[in-house]
Amino acid sequence: MAADENRSQLVAALARVAGGDRAALQLVYQDTSAKLFGVCVRILNDKSEAEDVLQEVYLTVWRKAATFDPARASPITWLVAIARNRSIDRLRAVAGRGRMAPIESAQDVHDPAPAALDLVHAAQQSSRLATCMGELEQRQSIAIRAAFMEGNTYEELAARMRVPLGTMKSWIRRGLLKLRDCLER
Amino acid sequence: MSDVPTITPGDGSDLLAAEYVLGVLGAVERRQAQQRLAHDQAFANAVAFWEERLGALADEVAPVAPPAQTWNRIARSVRARDSTAPRESLWQSLSFWRSFALGAAALAAASIASLTFMVTSPPPQPPLMATLGPANGQPSFLAAVNAGGTSLTIVPTVAVSGADQQHSVELWLIPAGDTTPRALGLIQPARAVRLDVPRELIARLTSDAALAVSIEPLGGSRTGLPTGPVVASGKLVNL
Repeated sequence: MAADENRSQLVAALARVAGGDRAALQLVYQDTSAKLFGVCVRILNDKSEAEDVLQEVYLTVWRKAATFDPARASPITWLVAIARNRSIDRLRAVAGRGRMAPIESAQDVHDPAPAALDLVHAAQQSSRLATCMGELEQRQSIAIRAAFMEGNTYEELAARMRVPLGTMKSWIRRGLLKLRDCLER
Repeated sequence: MSDVPTITPGDGSDLLAAEYVLGVLGAVERRQAQQRLAHDQAFANAVAFWEERLGALADEVAPVAPPAQTWNRIARSVRARDSTAPRESLWQSLSFWRSFALGAAALAAASIASLTFMVTSPPPQPPLMATLGPANGQPSFLAAVNAGGTSLTIVPTVAVSGADQQHSVELWLIPAGDTTPRALGLIQPARAVRLDVPRELIARLTSDAALAVSIEPLGGSRTGLPTGPVVASGKLVNL
């Protein structure tokens, strides 16, 4: 399905959810649960906990659909943000729960995900970000990817990439500022 | 070096928004950022910017089919919750109210009035409204009393200064011809709240009575009277 069509269907379904339509919530679930479950599993590294959080995510969607503003955010971004926030909150609730496997190279944070199956974001948004990520130093883009996908703190990332905390903060902060400049161009 | 951006003081808030969205903050800083989100619109905008831009990284996460029973669990919780907790509606959406407040408070007041009419028609009397603000300042709350005077809805239109984790925000009624404030209940600095009016005060919610908002110790004033600064007040008027 074309990304644009997918997007407008989701926007319409969320508007119906805002009006209290449970069938529309099921539609949103059918369209997005595999994506959001993937996001939760990746961060929590535990399927049963991820399932718990996934329930919270759709209950949040049910309660807050009226606050989704299609003029400001794309529906999938809004949903992914809820899934990531819930997962990271859960991860932070117990100290020292983050993934700690060493990161030696870009392969260690890449999913073998076939991107073509996953036209959830407007194509230009994805390619714009990909271009800008490509302009970062490799260690910066690895650290930013690991943080986004696995919900690691600065401390955990520093340990995983075997650099001092200050170095990690500086990589990521400079990387983020460079990304912002690139995305605003 | 031109391709290494220098971190300037002006980047602080935006960087924090990016760090929050990226997820690198520890538990304490993360909670602080979440609290700030509730009342700092510029920060919330920066977070929205980063969520929209970084969100595309999620394309790289492989989808995983959730267990088959998950949907049934969600559907059950939705049904269970539906009867107990009210959902956040447009009525309680802060951006909805802010969009009014930014334009004209009077227009917002008229809109609440018409909404009140719609949900309670036929009204036994014109609805009571109040625009609350600091002396000589921008309105910071809008309040609408329901037609029977048994409940009222109060909506913040701007961030309330002095409201934080260590304090509660309390609403007071100063009846017409009286100077003693009566407690109506605790309200939220960043969200619409509907309060049931204490039974003995229903008859005293009249035009020319006033509403006032004060900052109190956590849990509300313990003396029965406002003890902290009054940050907003306004008269009830019939529309």
